[in-house]
Amino acid sequence: MTEIILTVDDVSKRFAGRVALDSVSIDVARGSVTGVIGPNGSGKSTLFNIIAGTLRPDQGRVSVAGRDITRASAAEICGLGVARTFQISRLFAEMTVLENLVAVARGLDDRAAIALALELLEFLEIAGIAKKWGSELSYGQRKLVEIARALMLQPKIMLLDEPFAGINPRLQNRIVGHLKALCAKGITVFFIDHEMRIVLSECDLVYVLAEGRLIARGDPNSVRNDSKVLEAYF
Amino acid sequence: MRNRGALAIVGAAGIAALVLPLLGSDYAISFSIQLLIFLILAYSWNLIGGYTGYTHFGQVGFFGIGAYVGSLLIFHWGVPWYLAAAMAGFAGAAVAVPLGGAMLRLKGPFFAIGMFGLARVLEAFALGFDSITQGGTGIYLKPLGDLRPLYYVVAAVAAIMVLLTWRLDNSRLGLKLLAIREDESAAESLGIPTTRLKIGTFVASAVAPAAMGALYAVYLGFIDPPTAFAPNIELTTIAMVLLGGMGTVLGPLVGAVALSVVNEVLWANYPQIYLASVGVIILLAVLFTPRGLVNLGIRGGWLPAGRPLFRRLAQRAGQTP
Repeated sequence: MTEIILTVDDVSKRFAGRVALDSVSIDVARGSVTGVIGPNGSGKSTLFNIIAGTLRPDQGRVSVAGRDITRASAAEICGLGVARTFQISRLFAEMTVLENLVAVARGLDDRAAIALALELLEFLEIAGIAKKWGSELSYGQRKLVEIARALMLQPKIMLLDEPFAGINPRLQNRIVGHLKALCAKGITVFFIDHEMRIVLSECDLVYVLAEGRLIARGDPNSVRNDSKVLEAYF
Repeated sequence: MRNRGALAIVGAAGIAALVLPLLGSDYAISFSIQLLIFLILAYSWNLIGGYTGYTHFGQVGFFGIGAYVGSLLIFHWGVPWYLAAAMAGFAGAAVAVPLGGAMLRLKGPFFAIGMFGLARVLEAFALGFDSITQGGTGIYLKPLGDLRPLYYVVAAVAAIMVLLTWRLDNSRLGLKLLAIREDESAAESLGIPTTRLKIGTFVASAVAPAAMGALYAVYLGFIDPPTAFAPNIELTTIAMVLLGGMGTVLGPLVGAVALSVVNEVLWANYPQIYLASVGVIILLAVLFTPRGLVNLGIRGGWLPAGRPLFRRLAQRAGQTP
């Protein structure tokens, strides 16, 4: 039986009366790659921010490995092994790449933190930019450093906010390869993106949001042919 | 080689600091005490304003609290001036704990102006509660016959502040504070306990200014509200950190020495244009080196990027970042 590590149960959120999420429920299996897609304004980022603890839902419950995190702070959620990246890169600009990684390490001494940071930069094939400033990096490098920084937290769940947006197909494929390697290590990957090609080819399970409501759920094949999805997108 | 060079500079500065009172004139000692007090204020402000990014105009509030706590302890109970300064430092911390919890809920300009307002409120209290503070009349202290002990105490505190900042800059704690400065909500999302760190830094940044307030009163032999809570003390301190480089080890040192020397030269030679000249210097510095002289050196490649400890550890791990 598949173990569920992340549960979003009947979550709703309104902003100034406008419904951003309407009774959305999602289950994410441990070690899976799960994706959420949806047109602009469908509530993907709101859902993501609620899971990461930067927004509170008006209704519903979020839990990680059975533990309720609905009212937990972002730092507390992170402490439970949930690490995230950001839609628009939020690297610490006045710190080097190595420092960006070492700054967030937990439960490691300096030596071990640096060793892990260098190992992750090697893993993501960006060891050569370790001494560059955060502000000096290209868009694609920022995406990769954000993933490395999230991995510094040695997470159980990686929340990736549009990791493929705005980067070339070659780099997209590289990131896909890295995500698969993470899953092989037992890390759960949960991401939102517009990039249909990757979402529909690489995810074990796909959720589709439109206007704050969940309109489809299933494996990529069933979602690809779902009439509601086709209507929402085309 | 670079380490040896740095050690030689530190050693020479230490020896110079030790022998200055033996060889220097009373003027040199007096000027050095003022410079060192400002240096300590600059390093303290650099903790919360430079590293954590919570710039504010209220540090002089702690300076004033310390000036009054120290002066009253000396005046009423005859406490030795160095003990009074230490107790003033504790008083600064004791006030900063609840204050930090309340004020650090504010961000950006609201925090900066809120702290400025607080310093003005404290000044008004010092004026109003004249039964305790002697109001506008001020408190007169017995002048120190010899300024050298005061010089040595202030120099020791300055050395400790430089050392502590160097330690902070080479620690992950320092990186976490910089992360708060760079993007607080991202830092929180990445598990950095921002509230705890901000309050801790705020309290740490209040101790030395309060102690320096007490020592400043001892140095002057007098304190009154406009002197204890003088806005120009605040502005000069901030200008020093801005000029040298916020959130760096050497920035406050470079800024404090440069601005103190320039101030002194201008004041001695061109008193009529002194204030305007200082203003122009600050304006030029902010326009052309907005991240400070030290950061200019780092960006220009004359000073190494990244903290030395992390560079060394990375090199040992087989990389050369």
